[in-house]
Amino acid sequence: MARILIRFSEEQVSEPIASQIIIEYKVPMAILSAHINSKGGEILAEVPDAILEKVVNAFRQRGVSVSVPKLIEVDSDKCFSCGSCIALCPVEAISLAKDSTVEFDKEKCVGSTCSVCVDACPARAIKSIKQNGADYSAKDKVKKS
Amino acid sequence: MSNQAKTRTVEEINQKIRKGDAQVLTAEEMKKLVESSGVEVAFKEVDVVTTGTFGAMCSSGAVVNLGHSDPPIKIEKAWMNDVEVCHPGAAVDLFIGATNMSEKLPFEYGGGHVIQDLVAGNEVELRATAYGTDCYPRTSVKTTLTKDDLNQFYLLNFRNCYQRYNCAVNSSDEIIYTYMSKLLPRFRNATFSGAGELNPLMNDPDYETMGMGTRIFLGGAQGYIIGEGTQHSPKNLNGTLMVKGDAKKMSPEFLQGAAFTGYGTSLYVGLGVPIPILNEGLAKKTAIQDSEILTDIVDYSVPRRDRPKFGQVSYKELKSGSITVNGKKIRVSSLSSLKMAKKVSQTLKSWIDEGTFFLTSPVERLPTKTIFKPMRQTEEIPFVVSVMHPAVTCTEDEEIQAIAKRIVTKSVNHIVVVDEAGKLLGIVTSWDITRAMAEGKKALADIETHNVFTAKPDEPLEIASKRMAQHNISALPVIDIEKKVLGIVTSEDVSKLLGR
Ligand code: SF4
Ligand code: SF4
Repeated sequence: MARILIRFSEEQVSEPIASQIIIEYKVPMAILSAHINSKGGEILAEVPDAILEKVVNAFRQRGVSVSVPKLIEVDSDKCFSCGSCIALCPVEAISLAKDSTVEFDKEKCVGSTCSVCVDACPARAIKSIKQNGADYSAKDKVKKS
Repeated sequence: MSNQAKTRTVEEINQKIRKGDAQVLTAEEMKKLVESSGVEVAFKEVDVVTTGTFGAMCSSGAVVNLGHSDPPIKIEKAWMNDVEVCHPGAAVDLFIGATNMSEKLPFEYGGGHVIQDLVAGNEVELRATAYGTDCYPRTSVKTTLTKDDLNQFYLLNFRNCYQRYNCAVNSSDEIIYTYMSKLLPRFRNATFSGAGELNPLMNDPDYETMGMGTRIFLGGAQGYIIGEGTQHSPKNLNGTLMVKGDAKKMSPEFLQGAAFTGYGTSLYVGLGVPIPILNEGLAKKTAIQDSEILTDIVDYSVPRRDRPKFGQVSYKELKSGSITVNGKKIRVSSLSSLKMAKKVSQTLKSWIDEGTFFLTSPVERLPTKTIFKPMRQTEEIPFVVSVMHPAVTCTEDEEIQAIAKRIVTKSVNHIVVVDEAGKLLGIVTSWDITRAMAEGKKALADIETHNVFTAKPDEPLEIASKRMAQHNISALPVIDIEKKVLGIVTSEDVSKLLGR
């Protein structure tokens, strides 16, 4: 599974672009989070790796910007496993291992669309990198094809 | 020691440490042993139990002596890495307070970070100014320093190692940032602090073995308890320690600067106390379990000294990851590190096993009767309840015309919309009504504001006033926890009382 961040502009928000693509390409797309209002918005979705290129291109052809959001980065040298971040995480991506080490599940984390834990870390060990559509791995994959 | 003996002494234990046959368990191991074999066996077999905690301890700091510059300076003001440090004494003695913040990077870097940087061997920039005297003519100095350049560099923490601490929640509608970290609105998370059953004071709650002169693990080196900490409150199990240790020998792993968004900076301190098992009573006390240690669930959204409480929880529940408040399950996580607390107790154990750490008897035990008093205030501040007055209300099915009339007869600017039970639904202002009439609108629903900013009766008026200014509004309905409207407070009430 790959995670993509789809950004709609104010004009695009009223059009049913996402549902059109889901139907047209028969893609099983899981919506992980959505922040949308009349001014535009973001959807974080998960699509199977095999059809990632197809989906990204389909959105782009319709003028929608798509990027693979950078997940948060945790500096394990700085993290002292206090645990402050654990109960804040809406998707339960952070947990305490048997030896009380705090662990992040990169698979579950919804990354820069959430970032709730970032400003709660007393060690400032969590960084969320907001990306623009310009630099991300999916684009490279698309280009190579 | 014969099998019949009912006590042992610190000297006997030190003899064993010297010979390499002292039996040392961490607090975690001791609990298991007592559970499986009982107190009597545990007393016979165990000489020392090591405890540990690693948490944010704001009342921490370090005393440094810089040595004299040439020509000499009597420092008046000084900064280390842009963090102002205090100059409580003579010419070149400074105190780095953990919560003092950098003037360039406030809330991100502070005294705690300066201490960590120095301990780590990093270079720190010192700036100082002075008024100049005949004996100390110099008026400014700027240099870089490492810990090796300092004459003394002592950690001197006046309140560490709280025996237990509150569990924090937030009942309000907004995120709040506190020293208990980020609290999500409407009870969406809870935080707690403290190591529970591993905490040093919890394992010797009558302070039989602790007091001035007790040698301890402090920040990765050997340090000492020098007395009770400030706010020491033993009667309700809120004891604290004042401690001191040579920071030059400490490790940045066990002394870490911290930044709490919206609150400020602090220092995480690793602290562990070895408890000599001098009698069976101590064997029993060190077997204390998280399930027996209770603490209050406190609402941090109420900015008062005595905040509302929602009952008690045990550290066992807190460490389980979720607690129940008002019948609702809330996820909870810790601010202090259990992993590091364990590491402290294990490291202390290994020092004793290796024969590099010997126990001491306190020359004076910690007091057991101190009381923590609130501040004596000669001036009381006003609260919302003291100025609020009854709100003029309406229900959602009323005609705008009728509401307009009420505004005139009662001569008010705000009408609070309530349901049959008197609970808050919205608010309309005389301005909304005027506009509705001008635009020919009839339905209250078209003009009513649903997203209402409110006040609580026991809030300081100052805070309610700030909320009005911040959102550019002139009144706040006062509601209770069930959203029932109790009254209204207006900016006029505020200016009458506070004169603004
Ligand atoms: S960014 Fe959000 S989803 Fe990811 S770990 Fe932090 S709180 Fe959880
Ligand atoms: S809040 Fe920061 S230091 Fe604490 S466990 Fe999470 S990442 Fe680690």
